[in-house]
Amino acid sequence: MDCKEARASLHDFGRRRLEAPRHEAVSRHLDGCPACRRAADAETLLDRLLRERLPRHAAPPELRRRLDELAHAARAPGASPGLAAGAAHPPLRRADAVRRIARFAAPAVAAAVAFAAGALLVGRRADGDALATLGREAVTDHLRAISSPHPPDIESSASHEVKPWFEGRLDFAPRVPPDGGEVRLRGGSVGWFLDRKAAVITYTLRRHAVTLLAFRGEGLPWPSRAAGADRLRATSRGFHAVFWRSGELWYALVSDVDPGELDRLAAAFAGAT
Amino acid sequence: MNRGEIVPLREPGATPADALAHADALYHLARHLTRHAADAEDLVQETYARAFRALGRIAAGPELRAWLFRILRNAFLDLQRRARRSPVDARDDLDGLAGAAPGEEAWLRGDAELERMRGIVGAEIEAALRTLPEDSRVVVLLDVEGFSEAEVGEVMGCPVGTVKSRLARARAALRERLSEYRR
Repeated sequence: MDCKEARASLHDFGRRRLEAPRHEAVSRHLDGCPACRRAADAETLLDRLLRERLPRHAAPPELRRRLDELAHAARAPGASPGLAAGAAHPPLRRADAVRRIARFAAPAVAAAVAFAAGALLVGRRADGDALATLGREAVTDHLRAISSPHPPDIESSASHEVKPWFEGRLDFAPRVPPDGGEVRLRGGSVGWFLDRKAAVITYTLRRHAVTLLAFRGEGLPWPSRAAGADRLRATSRGFHAVFWRSGELWYALVSDVDPGELDRLAAAFAGAT
Repeated sequence: MNRGEIVPLREPGATPADALAHADALYHLARHLTRHAADAEDLVQETYARAFRALGRIAAGPELRAWLFRILRNAFLDLQRRARRSPVDARDDLDGLAGAAPGEEAWLRGDAELERMRGIVGAEIEAALRTLPEDSRVVVLLDVEGFSEAEVGEVMGCPVGTVKSRLARARAALRERLSEYRR
């Protein structure tokens, strides 16, 4: 096999889509050709960058709610598929209108409109759902951070090094609580919480991984029943997430440590944020 | 032996729940296509509105996934045409990326280039992806999403050979852009 043939097969080789004899032939060629090996490494690296570092966008809760409405209308007994989709449109257009106003209005008005929309959509009964959604997202972000084969983008145990690293990478300045007691700062990265950028700050607490997420709360529904509460806790897949607010910023602390211990740590962090 | 029995061979039609299982993946692509959260939400909603009208005709499974992504892409092209932003040319990626032939990029010239690339952060990949034309972004993202070339062909409405060459050029261009960021 020559270089031209090998290069043409590299993508399928990486995806393990080649027939066994061809896979073997490419593999043998790579063993003896540093240039093609480098090209193969470049393919693999690009895959890893795209899979692990490209921000992953999940459907926001409000979109999910509207899609559920559409699905519900499509399932309605006696509704023809065409009618069902048509019937689902009016309430959705209203939601669109709110969003469009929020998009084009002045920022302060936009924040108010978006928050009011969130409050309307997340009524008392839906409070638990809203918190569960926030919790699931925080736990997913924590899992993404701890399962990443890469170290944090800024690896440091010094808060005064991690905090300034976020400058220019985020449109807000998160507080980075320093080490204390058994908690050790590991570093920070830029990630996502739902549809917005987040500071992902990682710590260890004894042998447990702890992730602190900081993001702008604008447009997110803080459960109405919890209006007076300092912090909220959600549990998902055995992990706990404690949320608190500090001005425009929301923070979420996630770990699998005992919920009481996590809440005490969150209270200490909230004092520092 | 009951030789006259009619055995239905078609799988039952997909349900809304089957379709909704792809909402996150569709939204992810929509975000990278529209580059705007609210536009992406509109696009995904429009996709499902169209899909639910014809859902019973599609079987659940891989076919459903490719079908939903195809609807999303077509809805995106329709929105673009309606908004009269830029005329959509299905071949613009081939012309636009002419300078980036696979295998000739700077970062293949030495290990130092590769090493530098490892420091790339998410925001830089996102920015590099944004510089690619729509077709190229779609093939790159679907490929990473685990679509086979045949499935990408289904979504894009083009033969596998075309998918192969578009993907190779798009990835080469992406590497080139990323390597520029790290200079």
